[in-house]
Amino acid sequence: MSEIVHGAIDTDVHVEPPSIDALKPYLSGYWLEYIRGARSQLGNVYSPTLPTSARPEAREAGTFPPRDYETLKTQLLDPYSPRAVILNSVSAFSAGWNPYYQAAIARAVNEWMANEMLAKDDRLRASICVALLDPVAAAAEIDRLGSDRRFVQVMLPIRSETPWGNVRWQAIHDACARNNVTMALHAWGQPGATPTVTGYARTHLLDSVSNAQLVAPPQVVSLIVEGVFKRNPGLRVCLQEVGFNWIHALMWRFDKDWKSLWRETPWVTDRPSEYIARNFRATTSPSHIPSWVSSDEIATMARFVNAAEFLTYSSDYPHDHGNDGSERLFEAVGEVGRERIFHENAEAFYDLNLVSAR
Amino acid sequence: MTTIDTVDVSRAEGVARGVSRQARQATLLIDGDIHPSYSVEDIKPYLDQATYDRVKEFGLHAHAESYPRVRNGGGRLDSRAVDQEGTPLAMFQRQLLDEYKERVGILIPMGGHHWGRERDDLAGPMCSALNEFMVHEWLDLEPRFFCTLQVPMEHPKAAVAEIERYRNDKRFVQILMSGHQEAEIGDQKYWPIYEAAADAGLPLGVHHGNDPRGRHGTGYPSYYTHEHIGYAYTLTALALSMITEGVFEEFPKLQVVSIEAGISWATGLQWEMDTTYEMVGREQPRLQARPSEYFRNHFWFTTQPIEEPDNPDDLMESYKLTGVLDRIMFSSDYPHWDFDAPDRSLPTSLTKEQREAILGENACRCYGIDPLTGTRL
Repeated sequence: MSEIVHGAIDTDVHVEPPSIDALKPYLSGYWLEYIRGARSQLGNVYSPTLPTSARPEAREAGTFPPRDYETLKTQLLDPYSPRAVILNSVSAFSAGWNPYYQAAIARAVNEWMANEMLAKDDRLRASICVALLDPVAAAAEIDRLGSDRRFVQVMLPIRSETPWGNVRWQAIHDACARNNVTMALHAWGQPGATPTVTGYARTHLLDSVSNAQLVAPPQVVSLIVEGVFKRNPGLRVCLQEVGFNWIHALMWRFDKDWKSLWRETPWVTDRPSEYIARNFRATTSPSHIPSWVSSDEIATMARFVNAAEFLTYSSDYPHDHGNDGSERLFEAVGEVGRERIFHENAEAFYDLNLVSAR
Repeated sequence: MTTIDTVDVSRAEGVARGVSRQARQATLLIDGDIHPSYSVEDIKPYLDQATYDRVKEFGLHAHAESYPRVRNGGGRLDSRAVDQEGTPLAMFQRQLLDEYKERVGILIPMGGHHWGRERDDLAGPMCSALNEFMVHEWLDLEPRFFCTLQVPMEHPKAAVAEIERYRNDKRFVQILMSGHQEAEIGDQKYWPIYEAAADAGLPLGVHHGNDPRGRHGTGYPSYYTHEHIGYAYTLTALALSMITEGVFEEFPKLQVVSIEAGISWATGLQWEMDTTYEMVGREQPRLQARPSEYFRNHFWFTTQPIEEPDNPDDLMESYKLTGVLDRIMFSSDYPHWDFDAPDRSLPTSLTKEQREAILGENACRCYGIDPLTGTRL
């Protein structure tokens, strides 16, 4: 289990509403009847029984992730004094396949987040939940909340039905850009969105590793080759909870292919690695550095992925990625690198406006 | 005084810095990825008439659309057999084997990827016919060529029969598998193939193939650029599935060659598999070792398209980081648009030992080739 860094800007902390009942003030009569009739509950992509779903102290405290401000304060804010925290709810990932229900749940979670979390502490920021099956509704929700600078990001799953750069998602790209909010591509996805040919991941090991090693890199390729940054040069994408030790292999092959294949996508006017350096960041947890890797090898990896520039610190609280080597990574990047990863990169990338958010 | 080492010459023009072409070439050169073309007409002499007629009338059913390649249609401009005098074989000999003094070239027809997933009564005969075509039209005529066996992978019983038919023909050095099969590649459905392959001492040669099922996790790419970069993730998925399903515990001798899929991703995959395994390994009772150990003991890699870091020296650093440096084998992908020349694609900074290992020695170990004679042991 990696130590949580004190005083950092923490770009991935998980919270969820305590139950679907907590969303009732924000749902219409139709949806209240629908939920009552179907006995619907909030979805949860992090099953509480999985060893990775909670650090020991969170598990001991009984509820995880934090479901009210007091718990968040006791478990994370008080002991670690983060300078700012980006709160993520992923329950909208699991809101089924009814796009209207998804939109209603996403909006209700956002209202809960604003009232029950953001209103209670100036250090808190959050990601906007959106309907994943209805890009126009998603864009409307981003527009509704975009002027509230406490919402700094839009929460999207790394797994998609169509690659995230596809024109089908253009309304979301545009809404993120015009509202100056980051697009988060976060581990996991909607029910059944598995990375395998059959659509059923058979073990958690395969399912979990796929997020980073198998699904994330093609999403980066898609966003670049489909011209998303030609249309929205300032759009920022944060890769969350999907590691980073794959990015050098992607850049080296992508840059090489682009030298010949640019004719297919002439709107990709810069080298692909330049878009990655400019428009993308990745969060640090999990770092996926096993204990058998030497310090020299970690230093080489940190150089290959340009860790000091590319990464923003995250605790991924309350998740437990075991002995994932993040402390050794922070050691490898030196003091200047640590200051960038812990503070400067996030502050610059997210436009956090730390003095006054509201 | 200006030495030749300091003369700035363009890599793009393929001119090596101060190193002669001969010096950069190993004494033993093995090319692990060469694509002969073939058609239904080519294999007609080896198909029974009724099967041929059926294919002509009703067409094939398992052929997935491939992405338009906005680069000479996907081939080298100078390597289109239709523009050349003589047979395709003569062109391959002239432009590849003779030009670069390749001792061994491993042919990879890819009929198994699409013909091999037709219904059983088409898939088996078409793969068999393609193997016969390769024997008569290529291997019998050119001893420097070895070949990849085509099997109907979705019909394991027929695939095993094909492996048994050719296991004593030393010219077939591996068995073609696709990274886009119908079930999980680690599924026990395919284990008879793995058992036969391990027993015959033949590695599986896995090449990105036709993808009839979409891309779970991301959906279909729009562009060939995206698809082409994605070969890496096809092989990542394959390695993950085979390792987590316990294939290598069941078949400890089975070897897998990852072709045209890049190499540097192997580091992150192993690191993440191991850290995650520490947390959730209790769900994997079949595994007796950490996942990276299976990876390092069972996977081989071909170089093309060789990764190009800004600093060419980083390539060898990255190869070392993967832990599979001694399992990396040169390949050219001739005659495709992104051909890597044997004398120019590896960074100039490699030591002689590193160069010779990648250009030939590693492939000798993988395929059981005698480094002195270039023949199979």
